[in-house]
Amino acid sequence: MEQRLVNTWRMTVNEKKFIESALESELRIDGRRPFDYRRVTIKFGRFAILREDGSSEVQLGQTHVMSFVTSQLVQPYRDRPNEGTLSVFTEFSPMADPSFEVGCPSESAVELGRIIDRGLRESRAVDTESLCVVAGKWVWSIRIDLHILDNGGNLVDAANIAALAALLTFRRPECTLGGDDGQEVIMHPPEAHWVSNHHVREPLSLTIHHLPIAVTFAFIGDENMVIDPTHHEEAVMGGRMSVTLNSNGEVCAVQKAGQGVMQSVVMQCLRIVSVKAGDVTSKIKTAVESYNTERALKMVKRHAPPSKAVDVSEPGQKAKQILEGQKLKSEECSVSQSDDMDVDQVHTYIHALKELTHLRGDVFLVSKDPYSEGVNTDELKATLASCGSVAVPMKLVNLGDSIRDETKSDEPLSDVNPVSSSTDSAGKETRCC
Amino acid sequence: MTSTTVSSFIDKPVVPGDVILDLSKMTDQTLKLGGGLQQDQDAITVVQAGILRFSKPNKYWIESSHKRYIPTVGDTILGIVVDQRAESFFVDIKGPMVAFLPVLAFEGGTRRNIPKFEVGTLIYARVVKANTGMNPELSCMDASGKAAEFGPLKDGYMFESSTGLSRMLLSSPTCPVLEGLGKKLAFEIAVGLNGRVWVNAEHKSSIILVANAIMNSESLTPVQQKIMVERLLDRVN
Amino acid sequence: MEYVNPEGLRLDGRRPMEMRQLRAEIGVVSRADGSAAFEMGNTKVIAAVYGPREVQNRSQQMNDQALVRCEYSMANFSTGDRRRKTKGDRRSTEISLVIRQTMEACICQHLMPRSQIDIYVQVLQADGGTRSACINAATLALADAGIPMRDLVTSCSAGYLNSTPLLDLNYLEDSAGGADVTVGILPKMDKVTLLQMDAKLPMDIFENVMQLAVEGCKAVESYIREFAILLKKKMGPGYATAILSKNGGSKS
Repeated sequence: MEQRLVNTWRMTVNEKKFIESALESELRIDGRRPFDYRRVTIKFGRFAILREDGSSEVQLGQTHVMSFVTSQLVQPYRDRPNEGTLSVFTEFSPMADPSFEVGCPSESAVELGRIIDRGLRESRAVDTESLCVVAGKWVWSIRIDLHILDNGGNLVDAANIAALAALLTFRRPECTLGGDDGQEVIMHPPEAHWVSNHHVREPLSLTIHHLPIAVTFAFIGDENMVIDPTHHEEAVMGGRMSVTLNSNGEVCAVQKAGQGVMQSVVMQCLRIVSVKAGDVTSKIKTAVESYNTERALKMVKRHAPPSKAVDVSEPGQKAKQILEGQKLKSEECSVSQSDDMDVDQVHTYIHALKELTHLRGDVFLVSKDPYSEGVNTDELKATLASCGSVAVPMKLVNLGDSIRDETKSDEPLSDVNPVSSSTDSAGKETRCC
Repeated sequence: MTSTTVSSFIDKPVVPGDVILDLSKMTDQTLKLGGGLQQDQDAITVVQAGILRFSKPNKYWIESSHKRYIPTVGDTILGIVVDQRAESFFVDIKGPMVAFLPVLAFEGGTRRNIPKFEVGTLIYARVVKANTGMNPELSCMDASGKAAEFGPLKDGYMFESSTGLSRMLLSSPTCPVLEGLGKKLAFEIAVGLNGRVWVNAEHKSSIILVANAIMNSESLTPVQQKIMVERLLDRVN
Repeated sequence: MEYVNPEGLRLDGRRPMEMRQLRAEIGVVSRADGSAAFEMGNTKVIAAVYGPREVQNRSQQMNDQALVRCEYSMANFSTGDRRRKTKGDRRSTEISLVIRQTMEACICQHLMPRSQIDIYVQVLQADGGTRSACINAATLALADAGIPMRDLVTSCSAGYLNSTPLLDLNYLEDSAGGADVTVGILPKMDKVTLLQMDAKLPMDIFENVMQLAVEGCKAVESYIREFAILLKKKMGPGYATAILSKNGGSKS
């Protein structure tokens, strides 16, 4: 009994009254007006270990949600043999809010998942037909995992933005049909130093027709409503309405229960949402664009002109990786290239590479060919040092490492320190090879 | 030994495990240890991260900022009524246990005039008993049995911060935030050492401004606080 | 597929704005404090209410109001396909939550502090609109149990297929992939309490469809109200169950 009294979060009468009465004069405790949205920050997965694309982190005020998108080849549902699947999973950790319980997902977790799921699926935002590989046999199953890291109110909107951002940056490996009967699924690795020996092909993005944006209202008191409620406002509210709308002004999902409101108010909310949804859409788009540019820059480095690459897909030379229903690892082995390297550094890096290539009169460096001659790292280092084109010695060591990776990439180098930010560790690696 | 040995860590940040004093080198000295310190045979070690404080002649304690509150006798706190029993109110003080506020612990309190508080009432009270293993006890009277501002707080807005912020607000000379705000705005404030702050003013907008200014000042230096308050006030006027 | 033929008739022969036949019965579960069965065409649900009673899990007790709990389940034989439905799947959990929140909006919870009200709804036959039928059944069961309520919540769904707004979708229409708007209203207060919507719909059409669903709710309300008056007669001797059947109001 006493235990319960201590551990539940509670609100004073003063807070409740103040939130309600301040709204009468259109004021909110965090200084916002009723229809102001909190600041949205969107970040994308940049962890070295999670090289798989399709993760995002969204911060909406104090609310913090993380989203991961992963894919897998599965058998389709019997009633939809030529459509891929899309599923949403939510994880409410008790870390984020003491009211979340450990174990089976709570009602609110299920509701959140369902709102996002309905908004994305029923409105056909993601083209599931393009996820079909062999009708009735293999389709891509896209899984969105939503993790609530901090609950500052309005989880629905934050989770929805996170899911969209992750979906927009997610890319699945391309696969084609081959084999004797033309029914075998061949996976194309995104990078040459992947285990498989198939053609390297750019991974594919999902086809997303429109972005359904969820905007949540809280109804407080008899007449008042606010957009994007905080945790405190959610504790006071009588009812909540989440409207999912896309930028064409189409309603994709609505979820409302609790306190009754006039029909006209519902329509008023919808009109407000259509404005807010536009703002959020552009925010997501800018964030995704800048992420893509950054990624493209990295690509330049990784996939520089494949001039002299031997055709690795010669018949007989390759062991076909035939899919047997197991999850395909789309992880690539990590290159010792620092992932949080900013654009400037990438430029210097590319520059250094080019110069080096020129210097040696050879293109082995940029080719992804696993059969080309191995390069002596020390020799290379000496060359680099003598030409003095790279200012940062640490980078130079990294460069050596990556060459080593690429030249011996028959087996993945599993534990090369991916972010070798300290000269020490990088130095060690060089020594050992 | 005539000259007293003083720890070299005073007013410096310390972390658990630091040994601040070695008793084997000290004789005939009495030390008073406060929160966050522990005697480990001949060594005085730190068990809580924070800043080591010393007050003459021999008191040592660790000053740190927490979201939880460990009750200490004499602290004034802001509690929330969570339940009422025949003998006392159960009050949440952000501590490890609910505190008891005896129904008679009010000025002129008798069995006849027991106050009635609904659940969720905010109360400004004083900790009178705080022993480990026992629920702390509160009182709404000062030592001489007068009400002295203690009691339920009506209206206004309460927000939670940290114990460190509360101490900063109560420090003297008045901290720059309150000083800056006080010059321009008229408001009432009650600070509980358990990291709760209650603000009331005539205008709702002033309450919001003061509350936000205080919440923002948590990690700012005095100068930054001053600038922040000035900017906020400028924006409003 | 053609869901509305050129003559303006739907697959089951209804007009676009016509509801299915409503049928209700009160007092169907003898052990429950209040119970009701509700049919909308081939959709048949049963609701039982227990309470107000002592709170079972003391930690959930609320000192200022009653605790409302709701459990929605679908009988294994309720749908066409033969498979065992796992209990507590995500859809059921969500519907339970939605029904609970809707009923909470009309129950005068503060009149019954420190008590608990359990609402159990089960779908016996599913043919579209189970959510609405469950809410209507729950309302009747709550009324039967004598739980104080502000208003009688009623619910109805509407959809949009072949560029026509359709009232009260059946399973075929529901699974056609068109929009589906489920509305619950507090008719006397003229307020919308439940609003759920799937699939894509332009805003102005959404407004029309919602309006249609609200009209449907009002039709259900007039039917239920008639019933609630009969409910009083139930007090009389020898009156066991009240059965009433009527065609829902068709709107023009």
